[in-house]
Amino acid sequence: MTDYEMIRNILSFSFFAGGMIFLFLGMLGLLRLPDVYNRLHATTKIGILGAFGVMLGIVMKVGFNSMGIKAITVGMFLMLTAPMAAHMMSRAAHRHGVGLCKESIVDEYGQSYYKDQEKE
Amino acid sequence: MKKLFVYSIDLGIVWCFVSGNISIINFLFGAIISYLLLRPLRALYDNITDDSLEVLILKIPSLMRYFMKLAIEILKASIAVAKIIIQPTINIKPGIISVPIRAKTDLGITTLSNTITLTPGTLTVDVSDDRSILYVHCIDIDDADEIRESIREELEDYVLEAFE
Repeated sequence: MTDYEMIRNILSFSFFAGGMIFLFLGMLGLLRLPDVYNRLHATTKIGILGAFGVMLGIVMKVGFNSMGIKAITVGMFLMLTAPMAAHMMSRAAHRHGVGLCKESIVDEYGQSYYKDQEKE
Repeated sequence: MKKLFVYSIDLGIVWCFVSGNISIINFLFGAIISYLLLRPLRALYDNITDDSLEVLILKIPSLMRYFMKLAIEILKASIAVAKIIIQPTINIKPGIISVPIRAKTDLGITTLSNTITLTPGTLTVDVSDDRSILYVHCIDIDDADEIRESIREELEDYVLEAFE
């Protein structure tokens, strides 16, 4: 019994640690990367993995009772909604005229809807 | 009518997970409440065409393959972006490219764009008005054609197989 609990604790703490490291890297990316689109890369991808790691840690810690099941559900909803949020934010930013950073080499999206506006 | 029952059962299962208590009584409670809620709104669901049950069951293996692929891609994506972030000087060539797609249905296009967002170095910005082109922001473009090719070959096949 105690062995089983110890293995579960080690697993849950390693998942917590991995999730925390990825969340930290995501926030570091939010500060370091140049413009809004690159920052969304950091927050969506790394944020999902970090949050999912923390949720898995909770499941390992408490088992499949009401709290563990809720943690899995929260992870699933995050995985479903974070890409859509990133899509809406980047689309709104581009349509409001937030430019790409100066290192950018190509912008085929801007060309597409400027053409539409000229037609109108 | 049959569709309403299927949606109610689905939402009953979701209610079990959200409330954190999986039992027959709780499932019936969720299913009945969602049936009462969906009933007045059924005009919104009439234009959705459903597959039959046999088709759904036959799709389960390709759905499993798709989710395996998705899990691996999320891990790879996070490690790739983390590598860019911890470099002492950030040296990237970002940009937005257009990617032609083959998916036709709403579900297929939504799933494909979400999958692209979760895979290494790419983020979907928008879909064109005629639904044939996705605009994808890439964090580091070496060769635009190579990225288009990898989306077509590696991701779209899985999505088409599982959701269309």
